[in-house]
Amino acid sequence: MVVWSQIVLAGIWGGVLAVERRAFLQAMFSRPLVAATGMGLILHDLPSGLFIGMVLELFHLGSANLGAALPENETLAATGTTAAAVALASHTGGSTPAYWSMAILLFAGLGPAGRIVDHSLEAYCGRLAAKAMASAEHGELARAVRQNVWGMWPHFVVFGAATALCALFGFALAPVAASLPLRALRGLAWSYPAIASVAAAIAVRGSHARRAALYAGVAAAAVVCAVALAPWLSRVTLLGSPRP
Amino acid sequence: MRTTALEASSLEPSRDATSLSKGVLLRVFLRSLLLQASWNPQGMQNLGLAYALFPALKQLYRDHRDLEEAVRRHLAFFNTHPYVAAAILGGVIFHEQRIARGEEGPQRVQAFKSALMGPLAALGDGFFWLSLKPAVGAFCAALVPVFQILTGQASQGAWAAVVFLVLYNLVHFTFRWRMYRMGLALGDRLVEEVAKANLPKRGARLRAVAAASAGALAAWLAIVFGRNEQAAWAPLLTGGCLAMGAASYWLVARRISRYAVLYLAAGLAAVAGAFL
Repeated sequence: MVVWSQIVLAGIWGGVLAVERRAFLQAMFSRPLVAATGMGLILHDLPSGLFIGMVLELFHLGSANLGAALPENETLAATGTTAAAVALASHTGGSTPAYWSMAILLFAGLGPAGRIVDHSLEAYCGRLAAKAMASAEHGELARAVRQNVWGMWPHFVVFGAATALCALFGFALAPVAASLPLRALRGLAWSYPAIASVAAAIAVRGSHARRAALYAGVAAAAVVCAVALAPWLSRVTLLGSPRP
Repeated sequence: MRTTALEASSLEPSRDATSLSKGVLLRVFLRSLLLQASWNPQGMQNLGLAYALFPALKQLYRDHRDLEEAVRRHLAFFNTHPYVAAAILGGVIFHEQRIARGEEGPQRVQAFKSALMGPLAALGDGFFWLSLKPAVGAFCAALVPVFQILTGQASQGAWAAVVFLVLYNLVHFTFRWRMYRMGLALGDRLVEEVAKANLPKRGARLRAVAAASAGALAAWLAIVFGRNEQAAWAPLLTGGCLAMGAASYWLVARRISRYAVLYLAAGLAAVAGAFL
């Protein structure tokens, strides 16, 4: 059953973060780890938000807005994927790595899609700038500088609506996800650590460190040694039972 | 960064018509948080800059024609890193006060902006976007399992997101505010002070933290998920994930699309999970 209040909340959170990412503050509330965890908290499925956010944070670690070049929209990817993952699990009553994988694989394209939307919104801001120039020419200075504030609302509306649509899509797919055979769910559950490994490898590349592979390799070896010496460390699992 | 010069900064209460009150300076700083609200391909941050400066310009130029001229010169092309822009904003106010007092011509403030926006953008991009953000992001992602171990509860990993915001913004807002004050106090001389912060060297260290955190997290996830599987398959899943991570690094380094690598790895793992 579609929970409309969740769709609205997802849309509002997605819209607010889109404004924070591009137009106001840039205090990193819009980074996947924070954005997805927040979405999970709002939609009462914290594990989904946390583990999707963690993977997407790594996947988009190296993306940066350098000069006029637009990066992929990691915020839309995080909020949209989490909203969809929560909705996908609505028929089974709880999220699992299988649903996280399914959502990540289905909605991974939101990052590049968000960049296209970002690009088109720049054209709108270009019109605002032209309007500001015209107002300044006519001596209406307060009106001219105020145009700056009008650049924010399209981000809120467009990305809010996109996030809400992802949640709606998740609810639409929930019956299909619930009817998947156990074998398929097991396969999807195995995909999650594989996706996390790929994301971590991409993060190592995205760190831009000079000896990135060496640092990552040493740290990975240290973790393996620590677990070998103190096996109780790995008994604390990500979830009580991550198997589907 | 030296603080003695800052003590004599323009944050002092206004003494004459060309000095700005604390309230106005604070308003300019707060409005600078909207610098990119109307980022556009033609003027880039021009609207944001004019919007941020407007309260100060309004107080400095009582004559409407002077004010109009001042606003128009800040509606010209402007683009830099949004955090470092605080330094330029402070410097612009420094110069605008001198222009209002008749101590220099308007071309000085234009030259100041043009000379600084490029180099400071490179500095800000290198330190914040390419070093601090990845380092804090990877470190805090790696903190998720640490919080879970310490508390024994899966949901407690969410504190990693809180730590992310606190760590990042402690540096971000401290830097932004100090840069603004430095610009106000020093004008053109702020470049020497920024150089003393030695951001490129600090950035290199942070990038190493990012790489190490990502590597540690990859190993941790592989082990934990292996343990969640049946004993017979645990080593396969753990070893497979570690091998997949190494292979992915190699593939991405050879410019294979990261999405292609993601789907390939997920597909292989799904087939293994379904049929083994």
